Amino acid sequence: MLGATYGLIALGYTMVYGIIQLINFAHGEIFMVGAFGGLTVYRYWLPDSMTTNVWVALPAVLLVAMIVSIAVAVLMERLAYRPLRNAPRLAPLITAIGVSIFLQEAVRLFYPDGKRQQAFPQLISSGTFDVAGVTVPWVSVFVVVVAVALMIGLQVFVKRTKTGKAMRATSQDPESAKLMGIDVDRVIVITFVIGAALAAVAGVMQGMRFAQIDFRIGFISGLKAFTAAVLGGIGNITGAVLGGFLLGIVEAMATQYVPHGSSWKDVWAFVVLIAVLVVRPGGLLGERVATRA
Amino acid sequence: MIKPPALAVAGAAALVAGSMSPWATFAGFPGKMTLAGFPGGARLFALLLAAGALLFALEVGGRRRAALFAAAGAGAVVAVNIVAITDHGGGLGSVAWGAWMAVAGAGALIAAAWRLPADPERRSERGGGEPAPEEWRRLHPALEVAAIAVALSSVLGAVVWGLEIAESSRFISFLVFLVFASVALHYLGVFSALAVLFARHHRMAMLLGAAAAVAFPFTQQGNAYWIRVFASIGVFAVAAIGLNVVVGLAGLLDLGYVAFFGVGAYVGALFSNAALTTTNIHLPFMVVVILGGCIAAVFGLVIGTPTLRLRGDYLAIVTLGFGEIFRITANNWDGLTRGPNGISGVPDLALGGFDFGESHQLFGITLPGFANYYFVELVLIAGAILVFTRLNDSRIGRAWVAIREDELAAAASGIDTIRLKLLAFAIGAFLAGAAGTVNAHVTTQVSPDSYTFLESILLVAAVVLGGMGTVPGALLGSTALFVIPEKLRAFQDKRLLLFGAALILVMRFRPEGLVPSRRRRRELRSEAPEGVPGLAGASGPPPGGPLS
Amino acid sequence: MSLLEVRGVTKRFEGLLAVDSVDLDVGEGDIVGVIGPNGAGKTTLFNCMSGLEAPTSGEIRFRGQMLSGRPDRFTKAGVARTFQNIRLFPHMTVFENVLVGRHCRTHVGLVAAIGRGPKFRREERESGEKADELLEFVGLRRQADTLARNLSYGDQRRLEIARALASEPGVLLLDEPRAGMNAAETRAAADLVRRIRDRGVAVAVIEHDMRFIFGLCDRVAVLVQGRKLVEGTPTEVQGDARVIEAYLGAPTA
Repeated sequence: MLGATYGLIALGYTMVYGIIQLINFAHGEIFMVGAFGGLTVYRYWLPDSMTTNVWVALPAVLLVAMIVSIAVAVLMERLAYRPLRNAPRLAPLITAIGVSIFLQEAVRLFYPDGKRQQAFPQLISSGTFDVAGVTVPWVSVFVVVVAVALMIGLQVFVKRTKTGKAMRATSQDPESAKLMGIDVDRVIVITFVIGAALAAVAGVMQGMRFAQIDFRIGFISGLKAFTAAVLGGIGNITGAVLGGFLLGIVEAMATQYVPHGSSWKDVWAFVVLIAVLVVRPGGLLGERVATRA
Repeated sequence: MIKPPALAVAGAAALVAGSMSPWATFAGFPGKMTLAGFPGGARLFALLLAAGALLFALEVGGRRRAALFAAAGAGAVVAVNIVAITDHGGGLGSVAWGAWMAVAGAGALIAAAWRLPADPERRSERGGGEPAPEEWRRLHPALEVAAIAVALSSVLGAVVWGLEIAESSRFISFLVFLVFASVALHYLGVFSALAVLFARHHRMAMLLGAAAAVAFPFTQQGNAYWIRVFASIGVFAVAAIGLNVVVGLAGLLDLGYVAFFGVGAYVGALFSNAALTTTNIHLPFMVVVILGGCIAAVFGLVIGTPTLRLRGDYLAIVTLGFGEIFRITANNWDGLTRGPNGISGVPDLALGGFDFGESHQLFGITLPGFANYYFVELVLIAGAILVFTRLNDSRIGRAWVAIREDELAAAASGIDTIRLKLLAFAIGAFLAGAAGTVNAHVTTQVSPDSYTFLESILLVAAVVLGGMGTVPGALLGSTALFVIPEKLRAFQDKRLLLFGAALILVMRFRPEGLVPSRRRRRELRSEAPEGVPGLAGASGPPPGGPLS
Repeated sequence: MSLLEVRGVTKRFEGLLAVDSVDLDVGEGDIVGVIGPNGAGKTTLFNCMSGLEAPTSGEIRFRGQMLSGRPDRFTKAGVARTFQNIRLFPHMTVFENVLVGRHCRTHVGLVAAIGRGPKFRREERESGEKADELLEFVGLRRQADTLARNLSYGDQRRLEIARALASEPGVLLLDEPRAGMNAAETRAAADLVRRIRDRGVAVAVIEHDMRFIFGLCDRVAVLVQGRKLVEGTPTEVQGDARVIEAYLGAPTA
């Protein structure tokens, strides 16, 4: 379901924000790039005999998607964001917008037939089944399961492992973390990497669910994921997940029940965002960002 | 005069000779680059930059860096053309010997410049305030004003001439030339001197500037193309100045600004005599402009009230959201805005019998219809500039700077931050709305597709890239953003790609923009001042969530 | 006559009781000291008194009128303050910083600023004169055009005071004004506080330096763990056994 997708992308936003207080505007493009990466593998590298073998194709697609996303994210961090670490808020934000535009255009121009929508392979059967009168596609189930698994995995990682602890320390107080011997730069890169990997998975999921992708999916999904992150509480990992699901539900219901709902579909995310920021800026579960005196 | 080093002389000679000799071996390349004996085409730029070699003989401040950039510029021009010629001609072989000689010459000059003694540190680069304009040497006032006039005429001349250039490669060479020449002049202190002169005679400077602007349509000899472009730039510039109030002065990042512009445009269209409008009300133009501005301002207040409490990035995203909401609403509300089709057939203005669509004859030169809009816009721009500068230099302007620097301290000093932020927002919205109403007539059609997020980004880019917090910055940014894509039609497809790259690069290397206000430049480049922990926070990222 | 009345002010932060039912009075011509070990809640109390924090309970009254809301309302009413870790406007000049302090006592609005009529010019001139006078008062006149961030630490503190005074307060709250100063600068600071009182502005001071406080203040309040332990003249407070006990280990005089 959409909610899971948003949740996955939202995790990336929330983590990066928690650590360096940057809304990575271009995170949506990482999602898009991952989807394209997966598509490339499927189309061009996978031998024909394997394309229908879900056990080979799916992991291959996911893996490459992640690699592509991670590569782009790391490059982004190194080249565009790191030099601006101490600049006032405006500079990184505009840079992020620039990166976002650049990536969108790069895909549009340089990917074969990039301007048009690309058919995305349906690696999970497109059948559906009925539950309590509601038609549920198998793909959705798969997406939700994978998403939840990843989120649980992330929680464990952050709470139990040494790197995870380093990440939490850095997000709370980078200066002290440095003094404790934590390599802050490395932690930041790892944050980007994880966020990118999750976004890549989301990208592949989206492709499978909707059977097509194009270079614009990053932008709107990115904004909605950002809303999800804020809804749950920026910097808060469980919050991002919760926010994602909630947003997905709100959007689905609004589309169903509001007359002519579908053309207003995209608006709901913004409405939610504005509502949250006005009423309860910390989000539902409270934010976790560095606070200094 | 001092004796220039031999390397410099040799380099200059090579560069000059090379610029006069063929660069291309085939005639198909634009700009007559195959002829020897005169600097045709882009070679002219390399030759002009060779004038930098004179610096080796003169003892002037900043000459090392100026010479470096002049020489580097010459090299860059040649390089650009070598690339273009290779591309056109299908291989390095199509590049003629003149080009190689010029490159060698430029290289030699760079080497020679590198060896020059280091320039004395300029006072403005150390901390602690720059010398006040009154302290600089004074020439006879008439001379100073004449200098201003010369500077402005050169700008006008360069603009007009540059617009004439038809081929992309020559235009790029021109841009490269401009950039490097400007940097070199900057290091020679020319721009600082001009700034001082402008400050001393600012009334005259403004008059002359206005005269140059008014003169522009007359230089086009009846050709409507560029006048039409500048008519579009005009409305954009008014909006950019408005955004400059919001972003440049008050420091509020608004990514949905185009919504105000769009509101104004729709107001303008709805209340005109448009063929396909939904209202049958027709109001006189001046009323509509004010009305458009006011309605946009109201929108600004509505949007601002809940959101201006939010911190920087959040404000940015939320305003982006509002921008999108506006667009989607306009797209869906068939009853008022006619949905995706928009309102078209907006007629030309007709003020007191004077039809804006027609061309007129003045001083023997034909001014096409768009020139009328252009002049009206000049008036609007003048108004916007007036509002901007007077607010900047007042208690309100100071309060905005205070809010920008340290909102908490500003509040503790007695400033009602919310009210002032709303004020900035509303003023910006008003200006954008007013500009929008004019735009409806210029483009004769208003539809949601014209008011997208990308437009907001373009406006932000105009302000940020042009120079935050200054009027010339906003004007320069607006002009560049329109003119450069027009001239580089060959790269039409890659426009957005280059735009994204430009944003990244500018933020990395010159975040204060091309013509920054001094204060902004200090803010954006400041490191922690020595030994005072309390003040470092102003430029680093403040921590915390949406409201801190 | 009490200018600033603090009654039963309590501030609770998610389980931490920072200020516990404190009463304080600052009267005309007073110089009141607020001392206490680190973490006693002194700055939080000042924050409540100047509007930066809203007390969980209790009230603040200035000239009989209850104060609440955003900090600028407090300043407009007549309560100004300086900050423990100096919050100036770093990229504005000394003169401009003080001018900002004048903001709430001037009225030129949007229309007047654009119109530049006589009212505007008069107000700008008057503000400039008042700013000059204040800079002279704190001794920063010569540095009027220096950027705030380029000042020395001591000068920055003085600038902050000048800016606070520009809003014509009835009471000035100084949060650790002599931190980081040497002995000579400290004496000058105490002298400045007395001159401020002589101008007609009452002062409340948070400080750790006992000699400074006891030599300067008419009354001293001691805060320990959010509660006001004792209030009285310097002699009374110095001799109070509870105070000595609270400061066990900290230098006295």
